[in-house]
Formats: sequence, C-alpha cells, structure tokens
Amino acid sequence: MTMKKRPVILDGDPGHDDAIAWVVAASVPEFDIKAITTVAGNQTLAKVTYNAQRIAALLHLDVPVAKGRPVPLMSDLIIAPNFHGQSGLDGPQLPEPARGVSPLSAIEMMAKVLRESEEKVTIIATGPQTNVGALLLTHPELKDKIEVISTMGGGIRNGNWTPAAEFNILVDPEASYIENVSGVPLQMCGLDVTEQAIVYPEDWEKIRALGNPVAKVVAEWFDFFFIHLSELGWKGATLHDPCAVLSLVHPEIFDIRDYYVITELGGQYTRGETVADVYGITGNKPNCRAVVGLDREKFVDYLIEACRTYDGWEVE
Amino acid sequence: MERIPVWIDTDCGVDDALALLCAFQLPELEITGLSATAGNVTLENTYRNTRDIAALAGRKDIPVYKGAEKPWIAAPRTSEYVHGTDGLGGAKIAHSDAPETEGHAWDALYSKAKELNGELRIVAVGPLTDIANTIIKYPDFPDYVKELCIMGGVLAGPGNTNMTAEFNIMGDPHAAACVFKSGIRIVMFGLDVTLQTYLTKEEVDVISNTGNDVCRLIGEATAKTMALYKTLGLGEIMCMHDSCPVLYLAHPEFFSGKECCVRVETGGEHGLGKTVSDLYSDAKFGDKNTLAMLKVDREAVVKLVTDIYQSY
Repeated sequence: MTMKKRPVILDGDPGHDDAIAWVVAASVPEFDIKAITTVAGNQTLAKVTYNAQRIAALLHLDVPVAKGRPVPLMSDLIIAPNFHGQSGLDGPQLPEPARGVSPLSAIEMMAKVLRESEEKVTIIATGPQTNVGALLLTHPELKDKIEVISTMGGGIRNGNWTPAAEFNILVDPEASYIENVSGVPLQMCGLDVTEQAIVYPEDWEKIRALGNPVAKVVAEWFDFFFIHLSELGWKGATLHDPCAVLSLVHPEIFDIRDYYVITELGGQYTRGETVADVYGITGNKPNCRAVVGLDREKFVDYLIEACRTYDGWEVE
Repeated sequence: MERIPVWIDTDCGVDDALALLCAFQLPELEITGLSATAGNVTLENTYRNTRDIAALAGRKDIPVYKGAEKPWIAAPRTSEYVHGTDGLGGAKIAHSDAPETEGHAWDALYSKAKELNGELRIVAVGPLTDIANTIIKYPDFPDYVKELCIMGGVLAGPGNTNMTAEFNIMGDPHAAACVFKSGIRIVMFGLDVTLQTYLTKEEVDVISNTGNDVCRLIGEATAKTMALYKTLGLGEIMCMHDSCPVLYLAHPEFFSGKECCVRVETGGEHGLGKTVSDLYSDAKFGDKNTLAMLKVDREAVVKLVTDIYQSY
C-alpha cells in the first residue's frame, strides 16, 4: 500500500535553523518535497541560495531550487551575520551543489507547483515572508491550492530583533500582513514556542553520536549557531525553524491556539510585531493557528529520530 | 516610625477607592496630597469620589486637587460599564463638605515634591496626564521624585482595552510615553501582577459584613464590578489593581519583579498604548527605567487589606 503523500514547498533563508528544519522535513515519510525556494534574510539572496543548493545536495534532495526576491516587498533588507556567519551557514564543510538554480523565480516555481498539484500544497516558510506574500498578491487564483502556510516568525509575547518584533517578520512586515489577511490557513510558530524549543549541548551530542554524515553536520551547525546564542545568555540553542515542520507532523506535542493575528506595519516601537487578539476584543475571526508552547523533551526526541533516518548513508 | 510621604493621583473608580482606603490607614504611609484625573469616569466624578472617599476615611484634612479633564491627544475614554456612572458602582456615600482646594494638580504636586526635597513617592493609578503635565511644566521635577509607582500597562499578556494596551496607559498614551522617557524611577504594576492581586467573593463578603461604614461601602461599590467579571468568565473576583502600588510602598516584600526598560507606543495601527518592554527580548532599549512587578504574595495582601478595612 502506498502512503498518500503531502506535497510540500520549503521556502527559507538558510541559515542554520532553516537547514535543520529541512533535515527534519526531508526525513518525514509523508512529505513529498516539490521545490526549495530561497529568500533574502539571514544572509543575502546569493548566499542563502548557494546554501540551499548545498543543503539539498547533503540531503540527496533532487528537487528544483528557485531564487526568490533579493529584497523585501518595500523595506530595506536586514541580515543576521552575527548568528549565521559570513556565508549564512558557517561551520561544517558541505557538499557542492548537485544541480543548478532553476531558471524560474521562486514565485513562478511556487505557482507552478501549486498549479500542477492535485493535492493542496503545504508551504513551510522559515524566513521572511517575502516570496509567499508576493505569491499571494500575484497569483490570487492559486490561494485555494494552499493547504497551509506554516511559518516561523513573530512572537505574541515578545520580539528578538526589537523588543516587540521577531527577525523574520521585521525584515518584511508587509509580506506577513498580506498572509494575515489572505484567508489562507496559517500556522505560526513565533518566539512564544521557538524560544522554548531549546536544544542543549548534551542533546546535540546524541545527534553527533549517531555518526551518520547528516547527523555530524547537524551537530556542527549546532556548535556554530550556539556561539552567538551563548553570548546572549542562552543555555542551549533555540531551534526556531524546525518548529514550523514538527508542529505540522506532530501537532500533539505542541500547544496550539486559534487567534486573530495581525502584523503591525507602523509604530515607533512595534513595527513588525505580530499582534494577537487573545481576548477576542476585535470581534475578528481567528485567522491563524498560533503555536505557543511545546513538550521540549519530545521535540528533542523527534529531532534525534529525524537525524537517525540518515543512518547508513555514506560519507561523501 | 518615620512615615513615607506619598502623593496619590487617581481617577477614582471602584478599585481606586479600595486603594485610597488602604493608603489612609497604613501606618507606614503619610498621604500628603491627592489629585484627581479623568479616566474610569469623568473628572467631575473622579474629583468628587476622591473627596468623598477621603471624607469617609476621616481625612478631610488632605488636600484634593483637580487634574486634567482629558488626555493630551487621544480621544477621552471612560469605563462606566465597570465602575458605574458615578464611578463607585452606585454605592451610597456622603458628599464631602471639606472646602475645595484651588490650583492645578501639577502645580501642587511639584510644590510638594520640591518641599520634600526628593523624598516624595508618587502613586499614580489612572491615566498619566497629571504626572506628564508636571514633567513638561517643571523640567527639574523628576529630580525631586523618589519613586513613581503606577498601576498601568502589561508586559507579557494581552491588553484589556485593545489587543495590546491596558486601560490606564490607553487613557493617555502620549502622556504615558512622556513619563516613561522622563528619567523618573518607575515601579510598574501592570496587569501581569494586578490580575493576580484579587479578592474572592467570599473574601469581599468577610470585609463587607464587618459593620463599619468603610466596609459597607466596599461591599456596595464592588458588587457591580464583580458581577461583570463573572459575566466575562473571569470569576466572581475583585481585582485590587490600584491597591498594588499603595501596598508596595508599605510592604515591598509582598511583590517581586525585574528591572527593564519600558517604552510606550504612540503610533501604529494596532499598537497604540502598548507598553513595549525589553524584559523578554534579546534586543534591549539600552537603559533601564522601570522595575516591572510580576508576582505578588496574594495571601499576604488579602490578610493585610482585610485587617485594614476592618480597623476603620
């Protein structure tokens, strides 16, 4: 019996935690990954696209990689080299790209996958929401083909790049707002959950000990990613982006609430804040499944399990 | 025992009345002046209520000044549905026959602060218009304020006015923004802690059944608010929002919090009146202007306020 597969597009700005999110996504048997699309964020578009190609090669993901917009819809680009290094994915050596970059843009690639798919498509967007926002604006006829947009971004309680705004949303608040009002099902992993998704050094030593080539790279990504986080006072690595994958696959280990969420576009201190109507004050219907908590131990178990699926792979 | 000199600025409402009735009777505090600002109800009502509550407590000697009639810029907002049209939930109370005090709240507050040469503590439990007016009129005012203890804002939860703003800050967001940038040392009692500082219906009953006039008033005044809370599904409780800063001055050990920086949003589509803190965020504003209270020993509060109200 063949399992009915769930078509998936991975959109991101890798980035260490994007990369680990994709390691997890590629390990999920029911996922049929159709394309990888890139967006400027953690580093410039050229760098994250090269990183995406190298991650695809590492994971033997023989799917098109399409380049997205080099800048947000209307803002200046912000990047995060302090977290991810000059390459955007500093740390371990990675295989060179196995295939070239698609001639289609990320938006056209997403549209093509949506158009050609019989099943509704899940978009996992772990960077700024620029490509997805542009897709919704320019291909409104394809909205119904989207199963859910699962994002890492925002935070109902707090931000990280400003006190009120999280990095991915702050980079392109307008794109996030376009998702909020699109009517497409949204699932949001904000800092509320991702800052609880802490992986401690002893956890990633278990991953390293698996010994397979992917697990080794993942452990070394953790080593690098943790350098800046530990300077900020974190005792482990906050694994933001994999939440957007695992909350789809194992929702039972997450605390998920239906809220009306809207991204603030103005404000002196709150631009890019994802504002949630927790008390139902606005009278607006919930537009978002907001993931606000998780069972950390089980999260780590699933992460290790995902890395274990690469056992038996040869070192390249 | 040397008493701590305190000024209270209030938009006297129901929970303000509970706070004032604590303040007058705490042996640690000396209430040196009162001012009324618009907020829970109109200035006319808050001014009358402040005077009447002082008279009920036998403190007609404390001057009560009129403050701002409306916020700086934002549209005036009141909350009669919580506090009743009169602001005291329709409770019967005798009107004060004390002579009225001349002058603006901000002038009197500044004079008192200067007179006490840096020892004055201020409790502000309504919109911050009067405090901000004092700051803008008297640039050296912040130097004379030991501590400004406010009930207002919220750091880690939703607002109770719009999605993110608490009522007192939303009452005058621009004035609040001015206060939080003034350099005054702020001790903030936001919804984070004030929603934990409540009396149950049974605890209110113990007080209101005591038999003195103050306790009788508390029973009458709180009935409407508690009924509303019950309707909203929050339980039949009376939140002692405004009592928190008063109790803190006498008993700081009841509360615990963290130092952080708070700014007030005055722009944006959804953010007006949000108290944006850097408490939980990697990004910091730079300075620390606020001790944000986060936890309370509720049992200790209940015991103390019951004793206080019964002692009238």
